[in-house]
Amino acid sequence: MPEDLEGLKEQYLRCVRCGQCRSVCPVFEAVKNETATPRGKVFLAHLLATGEIKANTQVQAQLSRCLLCRSCSKECPSAIPVHQIVSAARAELVCRAPSPVKRMVFRHIWTRPRRLALAAGLTRQIQILGLDRLGLSLGLLPPGFALPGRLPRRAARATIPAITPAAGKTRLRVGYFLGCSTNFLFPGVAESTVAVLSRLGCEVVIPPELKCCGLPQLASGEADAAVNLASANSEVFRRLNVEAVVSDCASCTAALKESPEFAGIKVIELSELLLELLKEYNPGLQQITKPVTYHDPCHLSKAQGITAAPRELLRLICRDFREMDGASDCCGSGGTFALYHYQTSMAILDKKIAAIKKSEAEIVATSCPTCIMQIRHGLTGHGCEIDVVHTVELLERALGRET
Amino acid sequence: MDRQKLGAELKRIFPPERVLTSELERRMYSYDSSFMARFHSFVPDAVVLPQSTQEVSALLKLASQHRIPVIPRGAGSGETCGCLAVRGGIVVDLSAWDTIEEVDVANMQVFARPGVVHYKLNEHLAGFGLFFPPDPGSTRMCTVGGMVANNSSGLRAVKYGTTEQYVLGLEAVLPDGQVIQTGGANDCRALKNVSGLNLTKLFVGSEGVLGIITRIRLRVWPRPQARGMAMAVFSELELAPAAVLDVYQSGILPSGIEILDTSAIQAINMYKPEINLPSAEAILIFEVDGNPAGVAWEGQQIAEIVGRHAVSVEWATDPARMADLWRGRSVVAVAAARLRPDGSRIFAGEDISVPLSRVAETLRRIKELSRKHDVAVVNYGHIGDGNIHTAPVINLDSSAEVQRANALVDDIHRLAIAMGGSTTGEHGVGAVRNQYAVDEHGEAALVMKQLKETLDPLNIMNPGKLFPPEGGKDRA
Ligand SMILES: Cc1cc2nc3c(=O)[nH]c(=O)nc-3n(C[C@H](O)[C@H](O)[C@H](O)COP(=O)(O)OP(=O)(O)OC[C@H]3O[C@@H](n4cnc5c(N)ncnc54)[C@H](O)[C@@H]3O)c2cc1C
Ligand code: SF4
Ligand code: SF4
Repeated sequence: MPEDLEGLKEQYLRCVRCGQCRSVCPVFEAVKNETATPRGKVFLAHLLATGEIKANTQVQAQLSRCLLCRSCSKECPSAIPVHQIVSAARAELVCRAPSPVKRMVFRHIWTRPRRLALAAGLTRQIQILGLDRLGLSLGLLPPGFALPGRLPRRAARATIPAITPAAGKTRLRVGYFLGCSTNFLFPGVAESTVAVLSRLGCEVVIPPELKCCGLPQLASGEADAAVNLASANSEVFRRLNVEAVVSDCASCTAALKESPEFAGIKVIELSELLLELLKEYNPGLQQITKPVTYHDPCHLSKAQGITAAPRELLRLICRDFREMDGASDCCGSGGTFALYHYQTSMAILDKKIAAIKKSEAEIVATSCPTCIMQIRHGLTGHGCEIDVVHTVELLERALGRET
Repeated sequence: MDRQKLGAELKRIFPPERVLTSELERRMYSYDSSFMARFHSFVPDAVVLPQSTQEVSALLKLASQHRIPVIPRGAGSGETCGCLAVRGGIVVDLSAWDTIEEVDVANMQVFARPGVVHYKLNEHLAGFGLFFPPDPGSTRMCTVGGMVANNSSGLRAVKYGTTEQYVLGLEAVLPDGQVIQTGGANDCRALKNVSGLNLTKLFVGSEGVLGIITRIRLRVWPRPQARGMAMAVFSELELAPAAVLDVYQSGILPSGIEILDTSAIQAINMYKPEINLPSAEAILIFEVDGNPAGVAWEGQQIAEIVGRHAVSVEWATDPARMADLWRGRSVVAVAAARLRPDGSRIFAGEDISVPLSRVAETLRRIKELSRKHDVAVVNYGHIGDGNIHTAPVINLDSSAEVQRANALVDDIHRLAIAMGGSTTGEHGVGAVRNQYAVDEHGEAALVMKQLKETLDPLNIMNPGKLFPPEGGKDRA
């Protein structure tokens, strides 16, 4: 079970309110007043814990203004885990003043693959009928609803087989944690992941009974639901006897690595695994000639501390790899954050788009489906024709067609 | 005026999104980094976020008319409740007003609005080969407005002094709403100016009690080309100040000289064992900067001179090694809390300043006081200018410990005055050291008060700060 607010007491008491976290919080940078600072959120959590403030929608609104990007937790000289404190405070709020709609979504729909698939299908139907545009223009739907764009016709799980053998000699049997975003929004990324892993000698297993990784639940204060998901998922992998578990979603990977239920299961970040595989067996790589830049997903760089491997991978396959300014700055996506705080999210995104433009790259690579969605949305909004892809898709191109 | 009416009046001056009135939003302006703020709830009646001088002026006119306290605020990184509404009123958050208006390279100066964050200013100036030398530990968050209002400085004050040396002129809004330019009206860009009473200096360090600073003209300097660092280990505390004096006597002015005492060394080693400082009574870290040849020569001299007193000296110019040496010093403020598992470092009694000749004696006395009150402390500081940072480490949950810490802090402040020093070298007075004003300044404290009454007869500017409280010791 993740620490609850009481369990984090020693942590929030140690916050000296120095304000150093103001220098890195993307939400604060966009909102520009103290109420949006990480320090302020720790302060609210403290008040909530001591009962000095009541759980109400105002507190909920303040605490919802967090991307859980962890920039603050990383910057804090006192090592205060602000993101954990925010999550715990959200859980406390859910416990004291639950919101029935959110409960329904995060607890009863998102945790069950079938219901989630139904909801996605329904969303697609709404999109086909144009009801989403109608809802958006009438202001019945929050503007963030437009972010995912038209959902693909078929989810990845519907098309990719449960087991894909290695293309040549089997070097490794991996469990592929095909997360919700990749599954519903980017089935193409899932196909690339499977194809590349297979080309590099992996037998890829996608257990059909896998559920959500639990991160959306944790972020929305449904900690016990997250724990249930993690234990169900870990059971599945244990039964399968895979040598390692990978995911193309930085957020899922971080969630799996951090859940105690996964203790003893080897979870490897995709780009690190790919590099390792390529070192053992390199079937020849064609160079991508267009200039490529890389965006660090927060859940990769800050949550897992991984920044070198994806770059090393890109340098192997790109003739012209170039850094953008602030590559590790958050893109403002933060899971469902944009749904509630569209303007703030877009203000954060604008900075990212400006950095991408300045780099003059023609392709942006990254390793998280929600970042892809967000950055694509921003580039389209700015009228830029720059491709946003998953690193693994570029690698698939570099590996060329199978002969 | 009731809060609702106040909110409505403020919204006639500011756009609604820059007026915060809800209970929750106001509460989030009830703290800064001080120890005192942890035990009080100084919630303002409203918060406004100005973006122009006109807005500030209109605000102060309104406040004068209704006699409402007005409290300027930068990043709220202060340690003294300086930016808090200890008597209610309107907090003016200037941190969002953060434009660097002009870098005048030919005239070596920069014009900034008050909310510009210190490190961002220096990042911008680096593009012109310039820098603004004062370097507070709070560089990542504090605003230049806050620095001017507090006359802030940092590690390199030994050589570069404090903020006051760099402020050429200010735009300030007086409590009645009048806007003045100090340091010369008519777009004065002179670097030297001795005409008239120096109102600029009056405002520097005024902690928001005289008016609101809305524009700052700062002198900037060329960036030094090279840096080097020396670490010296001492078996006896008294040898450290002696070594510092010898360095000065040899004609060398380092850019920084820092001291760590046994408690600080211990805390750092507990926090980051890999830094692995030798256990000793004291460690000194010297920094020199300038041109490469000068730095090399000064480094050698320092190593030789200090070597006569120290057990060992290490000289480094390699950036990686310098960063290593510096890491020890830079983590100490945080590392302090490691002295005990349930401990929090508090900012109280943290900033006294004593004559160089009495640093060692003061450190010993602080240790005695720490034993007397049974409160663990970690000591470090800018020994080059006698500024000692004491970090009490206590369990915040224990009211007995909090009480003992307060008694210790009072003793430390009184010790500083007895040593011929000051209760604060950097962080200021605010509402946590104002009770010492008369002890520290004697008759001059009353003249300060008269000045305040002349400029702010209604006492609306940041009341409850800086001056001794009426009728004795009531805090704030
Ligand atoms: C970790 C840490 C390290 C620190 N290290 C140092 C250090 O090395 N050296 C040092 O000197 N200080 C240091 N400080 C203290 C503090 O950061 C400085 O005093 C800083 O200059 C305050 O700036 P601020 O923007 O946070 O101001 P605030 O804390 O918001 O305000 C400080 C005071 O200035 C007044 N004020 C702010 N802006 C204006 C304005 N525009 N017009 C009029 N009055 C105004 C406020 O009313 C208040 O009295 C440190 C603090 C922390 C938390
Ligand atoms: S969370 Fe950390 S950085 Fe932020 S105010 Fe607290 S101690 Fe300072
Ligand atoms: S996790 Fe990110 S968004 Fe949330 S408070 Fe920290 S820096 Fe801000």
